[in-house]
Amino acid sequence: MRLVAVCGGVCMLWATLIGTTQLRNRYILPWILGSVLPCYFAGLFTWWHAPSSPVARRLLLTGTWLSIAVAVRHTSALMIRGWGWDLRVEVAGVPLALDFGLQILSRLCDLTVSILVVRLLALLPDGRYVFRHERLVLGALWGLVALPLLLPVAGMQMVTVNLVVFYYPEAWLPGLGAALLVLRCLRARSVGRPDIAALLPFASLAAAVLLARASSRLFRSWQGDDGILYFIGALLGALPYVSIAVTLVYAAFRHRLLGVDIELRRSAVYGSLWLIINSWYLGMALTLGLTAGLYLPVGLSLLIAVVATALFRPLRDRLNALVEQRVFGKRLSRFELLVQFGTTLEHAYDLDRLAPQLATALREGLRLSWVRVRLGGDGLPLYVAEAGEPPPGARPCEEFPLLYGQDALGLIEYGPKADGRRIEEDHDIGGTLARSAALAVHNVRLAAELSARVEEVQRQAAELTASRARIVHAQDTERRRIERRLHDGIQQELVALVAKLALARNRLNRGGDIDTALTDMQDDAYRVIDELRELAHGIHPPVLTDQGLVAAVTSCARRMPIPVTVQSQSSLSGVRFALDIEESAFYLVSEALTNVLKHADAKHVAVRITRDGGRLQVEVADDGVGFPTATTHGSGLTGMRDRTEAVGGELTITSRTGSDTGNGSGTGTVNGAGNGLRTTTGTVIRARLPEQVREESRA
Amino acid sequence: MPDPPSIAAPLRVVIAEDHYLVREGTRRLLEDTGEAVVLAAVGTADELLDAVERFRPDVVVADIRMPPGHHTEGITAAHAIRAAHPGIGVVVLSQHANENYAFDLFRRGTDGLAYLLKERIGEVDELLRALHEVVAGRSVVDPRIVEVLMGSHARTADAPLSRLTRRELDVLRHMAEGKTNRAIAEALRLSESTIEKHVNSTFAKLGLAEIPQLHRRVSAVLAYLRHTPTGPG
Repeated sequence: MRLVAVCGGVCMLWATLIGTTQLRNRYILPWILGSVLPCYFAGLFTWWHAPSSPVARRLLLTGTWLSIAVAVRHTSALMIRGWGWDLRVEVAGVPLALDFGLQILSRLCDLTVSILVVRLLALLPDGRYVFRHERLVLGALWGLVALPLLLPVAGMQMVTVNLVVFYYPEAWLPGLGAALLVLRCLRARSVGRPDIAALLPFASLAAAVLLARASSRLFRSWQGDDGILYFIGALLGALPYVSIAVTLVYAAFRHRLLGVDIELRRSAVYGSLWLIINSWYLGMALTLGLTAGLYLPVGLSLLIAVVATALFRPLRDRLNALVEQRVFGKRLSRFELLVQFGTTLEHAYDLDRLAPQLATALREGLRLSWVRVRLGGDGLPLYVAEAGEPPPGARPCEEFPLLYGQDALGLIEYGPKADGRRIEEDHDIGGTLARSAALAVHNVRLAAELSARVEEVQRQAAELTASRARIVHAQDTERRRIERRLHDGIQQELVALVAKLALARNRLNRGGDIDTALTDMQDDAYRVIDELRELAHGIHPPVLTDQGLVAAVTSCARRMPIPVTVQSQSSLSGVRFALDIEESAFYLVSEALTNVLKHADAKHVAVRITRDGGRLQVEVADDGVGFPTATTHGSGLTGMRDRTEAVGGELTITSRTGSDTGNGSGTGTVNGAGNGLRTTTGTVIRARLPEQVREESRA
Repeated sequence: MPDPPSIAAPLRVVIAEDHYLVREGTRRLLEDTGEAVVLAAVGTADELLDAVERFRPDVVVADIRMPPGHHTEGITAAHAIRAAHPGIGVVVLSQHANENYAFDLFRRGTDGLAYLLKERIGEVDELLRALHEVVAGRSVVDPRIVEVLMGSHARTADAPLSRLTRRELDVLRHMAEGKTNRAIAEALRLSESTIEKHVNSTFAKLGLAEIPQLHRRVSAVLAYLRHTPTGPG
């Protein structure tokens, strides 16, 4: 077969060479390009990939024989017309009509090609005989080859022989092949060959076209080589070679109808089909142009050539698109892919779903072997999705980082295409999708941040409401307490004092001594004054207003029954802060000290007031028993927190009990350095307050 | 500078108190004793300063809290009066049983100043005694304030007061109340010489031995008063 192939190639080259350089035949190049070349290459191609397939062999044989035929015809034409050789030589006295012989040979080659085409067509798709009549008819066809030798012997004139043997069969044979194929298809179903039956539409179409061609070809005998009808026939004459070649190559790889079991890159299939189609197109266009040149002025024929080119162009494009779609399957256009992905993005609330959707869309859209998509990063959890199975250790062919500004929000990477090569457009689509995906991830990130903020705000709002309610409640409780102390304590004592005064007056009226009674009453009055002072101090310590935080805290510390050390930066003495800040800080200290007295069983308390980085820090540390901060929710602690947070401060409570000396809640000495307490248990309550009160809390 | 006051001559007093009833009550109480003459009774710190300039009294009795601010106008006025007229004693009457106000009053010196709780006007003898003390250039601190300080635990180990014995602290407390050695001896039921010994050892422990006798007692009280970890200094 290799020999056949080489022979075909050489013949074609030779024919092309002499056809274009020596002969002035306008049909040569279109013919070669339009039928010989596609057919030969299609045969070469299928045979190369499936050497054992009879169809492939036949196709190659047909292509080769076409080449040989065209080479023989042109060689003889060259010898006779180009060089003017007189081939009617006499060798040893016997006149030998060599030109006639060459002509016969050329005709025979054409005939053989036609027979080969018939066999090729009739035995589609697998090239094997199925029915008896096929073997009979196809075998009998070879008998045609013998006719040019036998008929003259039988006394028939050469002209008639030509007509009977060459013109008519050559015209009708492809039609016969197609008709046989139709028959084959019709009978195939009954013998259980649905694959063959499926070819019926194709077979019918081929039969119709080829029979039409045959009919037109007949006009050649009346109009001659220059007739327009002959021209149409010649035009259609290329069809069987082209259509059969295209069909076979396509069928071989798309449906494996030929039993060709090969792994082949689809792009190669597409490439060969493209070559065949475009050769045919070129041939057709040239043929039209050149043929027109025979009858019309050069300018007009040029115009016709251009028009023909333009007219055939949509046909070619349509064929190309058809082939491309057939070979590669439906490929989403860039626009469709983006639209599809855009729709996906609309529902992209969570990256968990977006990542696989993106990977799948990209893989299907670009027909990639695998796609890996990483979404997230830069504060978001990372989601990785893969479409297709990347081979272990595979390096991606392309990578698209997802960038939003300077933020890296993920990565799209993919491997080679499942079929075909990557084109510039694929790269653009990848890039566009990466940008869209980056936007989507950014949106998801924004949404996440927003949702977190909203949650935080809601939490704060709830906490604020609760804390307001607690503060109001605490205020009400405090008011009731003051009211009780005023009514039940001070007012009662004053009433008692009035009663005592009345008694004293009575005694005085009776002339008695009221000196003791007056002293007594004075003492009572002092007690009332004391109580009143204490009550007023509890409502608001005047020293806080008059002298500030440090003086008030110191004064408070002095009245504690246990030693309380007050430390403050010397820079703090005399410094006044916003009223609310001072009140909150003082309240914190006095509440903390009260708690220490109530619960801590402490020997010593250290109060520190410092100023650090624009914040006022108040710390109350004791060496008491401590308490579990996680499970303790006393109203005292809550109140302290509320008061601190109400002015924009934050409260931290650290405590170590004797039982939790190993866990990480403390740092060895819970009370921190510098407060003078040496203890392993105890509590530190620390508030950091702004130095200036916020406007809204001042109201 | 006015003449040195004598026991026989009644004290010439100016009263500053914004509350009318208290003001008039104080005036009548003082005048009833016959030991004092109230030259003027005013309601604000500004009027007080005017009256002092006009009458040049021996002593001023001033409310700590007066219009317009109702904060510590009395203390401010006391400082102004002492600065302008060192011979005029000032007794500040305060409703605050808070030592910080006393510290504030004694911030620039203790001479001729007294810090008394307001209810002391009910014990007119005590008030008169304080008037006499400040006229004499000494100072008086209300027993309640001293009590707070004595009962306080807010002290550190290296404080000078921690070196005093319990008895010396008792003596110091009485000294702070402006009592003489004899009065202290009577209160503690000890001999006057014993008290004197305690007083001297207290002075020594507080590092006041070199200060003239008259001022030692005040200084001792001050040293006591000022001794706190964050006491204003």
